[in-house]
Amino acid sequence: MDEAYWDKEIETIDRHSLQQLQLERLNKTLERASKSQYYKRRIPAKINNLTALKDIPFTTKSDLRNSFPEGMLAVSRDEIVRLHASSGTTGRATVIYHTKRDIDNWTDLVARSMYMTGVRKSDVFQNMMGYGLFTGGLGLHYGSERLGALIIPASSGNSKRQIRLMKDFHSTVVHIIPSYALYLYTLFQEEGIDPKNDLDLRIAFLGAEPHSEETKLRLENLFGLDAYNSYGLSEMNGPGVAFECQLKDGMHVWEDSYILEIIDPDTGEGLSDGEEGEIVFTTLKREGMPIIRYRTGDIAQTYPEECPCGRTHRKISRIKGRTDDMLIVKGVNVYPMQIEKVLMDIPEVDNNYLIEIETVDYLDSLNIKVEVRQNIFHGGIKKLESLKKRISENLKNETLISPRITLVEPNSLPKSEGKAVRVVDKRDRDV
Amino acid sequence: MASQVTVFVENKPGRISHIARILGKNNINIRAITISDRGEYGLINIIASDPDRAHDILLKEGFSVSRNYVIGVLMKDRPGALADITEYLNESEINISNAYGFILKSGDKAVLILEVDDFDRAEEVIRGGGFHTLSKEELVNL
Repeated sequence: MDEAYWDKEIETIDRHSLQQLQLERLNKTLERASKSQYYKRRIPAKINNLTALKDIPFTTKSDLRNSFPEGMLAVSRDEIVRLHASSGTTGRATVIYHTKRDIDNWTDLVARSMYMTGVRKSDVFQNMMGYGLFTGGLGLHYGSERLGALIIPASSGNSKRQIRLMKDFHSTVVHIIPSYALYLYTLFQEEGIDPKNDLDLRIAFLGAEPHSEETKLRLENLFGLDAYNSYGLSEMNGPGVAFECQLKDGMHVWEDSYILEIIDPDTGEGLSDGEEGEIVFTTLKREGMPIIRYRTGDIAQTYPEECPCGRTHRKISRIKGRTDDMLIVKGVNVYPMQIEKVLMDIPEVDNNYLIEIETVDYLDSLNIKVEVRQNIFHGGIKKLESLKKRISENLKNETLISPRITLVEPNSLPKSEGKAVRVVDKRDRDV
Repeated sequence: MASQVTVFVENKPGRISHIARILGKNNINIRAITISDRGEYGLINIIASDPDRAHDILLKEGFSVSRNYVIGVLMKDRPGALADITEYLNESEINISNAYGFILKSGDKAVLILEVDDFDRAEEVIRGGGFHTLSKEELVNL
């Protein structure tokens, strides 16, 4: 049935033709990328076979940071119509530049993804992701408009208003981060709303936070809808890189737009389908800032088997972990080192803290323990409270999150010989 | 002006007994004690027979301790006594941030310990109202 596909020809293309298409687009990409400062002499002008890809060096987050701001720009700045940049007030930022065509292609991928899950023109889509530099907000927004659904650009927060919008406009589709969805449900209970009977929600896109299958099923049960996993990263536009189809058994990576590799994170060797390793992407259609062999730091495996939905693009599993220590808390990427820097810059805290990473409600959560040493307590309780507030504000400014802060007695945190261990991972290791 | 010793503790079992034993062993008499429960942590406020020593000893034992001034008001132990003084303070716009009391001699005398925002003015006002505030030595020698 043609209506099942947004772009039937591409979505059901045979593997052989797909690989030819990839090679063609890869060569165009290499040509474009060579115009950037960073890739200029790093990549070949042309390759004859996709297997030659493995001889091209990887690109890492560090490389992006080091080439900030325009090191990887492959066109003149005038051609750029939008940028998305990482947050953080200290440390080096990263930026992704988009030309008009880049936005257009990205939009098409998102529309394709949403259409695949069953969204249609008649749907009312409440986009509850932050608009702004977050790619999740605008990414789905444009995709939804392209598809023709009615979008409510609600952005995040203001829960009472979100609920009001759902009721007033009979929203059928939502885009939301799992932790917020769980929180919203508690509000529903308080207001006596039964989402299954009182609302019209039928589809939810859960993104920006890695979450377990249990969380997804729980949300599906609580809200009475179908939840679809998706995977994306701003380096690869944002949302629209990989999405679950209606069979919900793995996420299709759009291989006409990205070359997908799985590598051994320690050796860099390519792994076979089905083996777990680090995801590496190469953009195939990006003009403003093409990226070649980008190491995502995310660990997953591919499911190469034919999908009954008819789409020939390979699926990937949910993300199993990271190669580095990056955390995602409430949809925000956080490195423990960012937190440590903030804490150590506050003289009253110095190095007398411990960052605990826990699992709360199936999601990553942070608890920062700060020792109340004599030098901060002698001023009395008011000073203590204002210190706690200051720690919280500084953390929020730097990382955009407000982790829990627990005040503890002096000398109660573990002391270790040699390098102090100030980050402790107490998460449940799930399968 | 008298002083109160405040100790920061986590909300764990055994904190009060631990602190009480340390003071006991060091021959310090606790005249009054209250605790503020702040959820995950608590504050133990102590009027000790020797506040300076109590402060130093607890500090040495690894606690975080603060000291602050309190006003000790001598009162009659009878119905209405507390209302009298607090109404008076209210009229004079003295704000009380913490208060607790204890009996000295049943039916006769009691002490009201007050933490206020403006100590100097409070002391002046209290004395002006005909109440007796205890000096550091008097509080220690109760």
